[in-house]
Amino acid sequence: MAQHYEPPKQAGVGQFIDSIVLMVLVFICLLAPVYLKADHSAAPPPEVQAEAAKAAATWQSLGQTPAQAQQWEKLGYTPETAQPIVENRFDYTVDPTALIVTIAVIVGYFVFVFRISDREYREVVRERFGNGGN
Amino acid sequence: MDLWDLLSYAAWAVSVLLFLWMLIDAWGVGRKFQEDFLLSSREGEE
Amino acid sequence: MSEATTAAAGGSSGQPTRIALLKVLGPVHVWALGVGIVLVGEFMGWNFSVGKGGAYGSLIACWVVGLLYTCVAMIDSEVTSTVAAAGGQYTQAKHIVGPLMAFNVGLYLVMAYTMLEAGDALVVGDLMKAVAGEFGHADLDPRPFVVLSIAILAWLNYRGVFMTLTVNFVITAAAFLAIVILFFGVAPWEPGKVLLHKELLIDLPYGWIGVIAAMQFAMWYYLGIEGTCQAAEEVRSAGRSIPLGTMSGMITLLIAASLTWYVAAGLMPWEYLGQAITPLYDAAKLTGNGTLQVILFVGTIFSAIASANGCINDASRAWFSMGRDRYLPTWFGAVHPRYRTPYRAILFLIPIAVVFAFQAPLDQVISFSILSGLLGYTFMSLNMMKFRKQWPLGSIKRGYVHPFHPLPAIVLLVLCVATYFATFLGYGATLVAVMAFYILASAWFVFHRYKFVRRGDQFTMPWPRPKGY
Repeated sequence: MAQHYEPPKQAGVGQFIDSIVLMVLVFICLLAPVYLKADHSAAPPPEVQAEAAKAAATWQSLGQTPAQAQQWEKLGYTPETAQPIVENRFDYTVDPTALIVTIAVIVGYFVFVFRISDREYREVVRERFGNGGN
Repeated sequence: MDLWDLLSYAAWAVSVLLFLWMLIDAWGVGRKFQEDFLLSSREGEE
Repeated sequence: MSEATTAAAGGSSGQPTRIALLKVLGPVHVWALGVGIVLVGEFMGWNFSVGKGGAYGSLIACWVVGLLYTCVAMIDSEVTSTVAAAGGQYTQAKHIVGPLMAFNVGLYLVMAYTMLEAGDALVVGDLMKAVAGEFGHADLDPRPFVVLSIAILAWLNYRGVFMTLTVNFVITAAAFLAIVILFFGVAPWEPGKVLLHKELLIDLPYGWIGVIAAMQFAMWYYLGIEGTCQAAEEVRSAGRSIPLGTMSGMITLLIAASLTWYVAAGLMPWEYLGQAITPLYDAAKLTGNGTLQVILFVGTIFSAIASANGCINDASRAWFSMGRDRYLPTWFGAVHPRYRTPYRAILFLIPIAVVFAFQAPLDQVISFSILSGLLGYTFMSLNMMKFRKQWPLGSIKRGYVHPFHPLPAIVLLVLCVATYFATFLGYGATLVAVMAFYILASAWFVFHRYKFVRRGDQFTMPWPRPKGY
């Protein structure tokens, strides 16, 4: 049998801190993009809404067919209130640098996790099945 | 103060009660049973 | 079953020496857990994919992602029917890849489900607010109702898994029925009367790149079906019930997704649909039929509650398992002696869900949830290849063997890559933030937490030594 690893005992305070650390971490990462305002948001920014109120939009200028306009009206919209929704478009131009960085982060993450896991897994297997693999 | 306000207060009250019930029960269980026994479940036991 | 599980854990006198979760669930509960979590996606959320790629784009993405999930269900059924323990994919990762991967998978599960739970509770709150508005009470504060739904469901979960999932079965079936009723209510046999597909559908507004982008939210049609295997330790015969419950759940979802798309696309202009909060409820409003509106209101509430309920169940099982293995403080690994539930994990996650619901914006919460799910699928694909390599067919007893290996695993990996790209289009910063979280958490585990883990205890299956180790 391979040598047995005996972990230290963790005190109550340590257990408490460990429970909190992860939650604080998740909060920072969850709210970071919100405060940095980095992404497309579901609600259009106020400037767009203000601009929309100025220009008198019609269903036609928004490119809506009569049938579409009828459904909008049933939902309680006027051309003015619908305009910010219709004109809030995504921008799908790909920034190559950002793409490469993102790919590197994801691939790097998986490589890192699999390599470390493999090392730890060997310890687990050695302790469970003894030395001398196949 | 109408029905909806009452409902809101009732919702707060019931939530707090349920949460307290769980806390008190969990505390009671911790006192009544040995910690080793509570932590004694093992993975994948048939 | 050992004598410890069957013995009644009565008072403090004559205690059995071991305690375990109760094995009481059947295939119906597995279905209810899987579909229950996901069905809310048909009532809200899926339609953001219409915003990203147009109505047709959303439909194509829905089918492609359906293929992704069929692979997920196949792979999952094989591994889970072999590794039957609470924690599902987490336990699989522990046995097949290693501790750090397992820790990450456990976090994917907890984060995906807790955030989804927060989103569900928000939907309940918003609907209450909308109804109060229609009855003349403007600006109702939705928060008490958000908290109340989380509190009731947590309490239900605390009191026992059988009751929890039986309730889930009833309300999930009711919500599914609401979609079917809506479908017949809009008279699909008379196009042009209520449904206006010909007038409303337009070409792909962003072209084909929009279809790829739409895959991100098309995942919402199915996200969480893999949660079925969290129940593995509480199912009577896991090897049979889990594949059966998962596959029938997947069929239910494919039907529901198609009906939902058909009705919604025939009633709303795509620009509206792409940002609606409760698209099916809006569809019922557009029919002008009061009864349908009430049915869809009830359906939406039920689906949200069923989902939150399943999420509490799954997230707490994952958190509990990590505590039991010392990946997290051992305190969480406790089982309630009377109700046989992971009660401390359930309690701990309540305030977390409430804080997510109060502090974070809905689309951010949904994106975090989706990405955690996606990381989990990427893991499942790689895991499957390792699983067959380390224990070839015949070397251990498998409850179910999925056909065409390694094709499903490769298809799954390719589709995952496409979905990462879809998320990059429009939500790139969120993607990087989520990766940052998992990288930091991994570092924390490697440099701090792993020293508390008992090495040999991480492998509990009665299997031979893995090939190559």
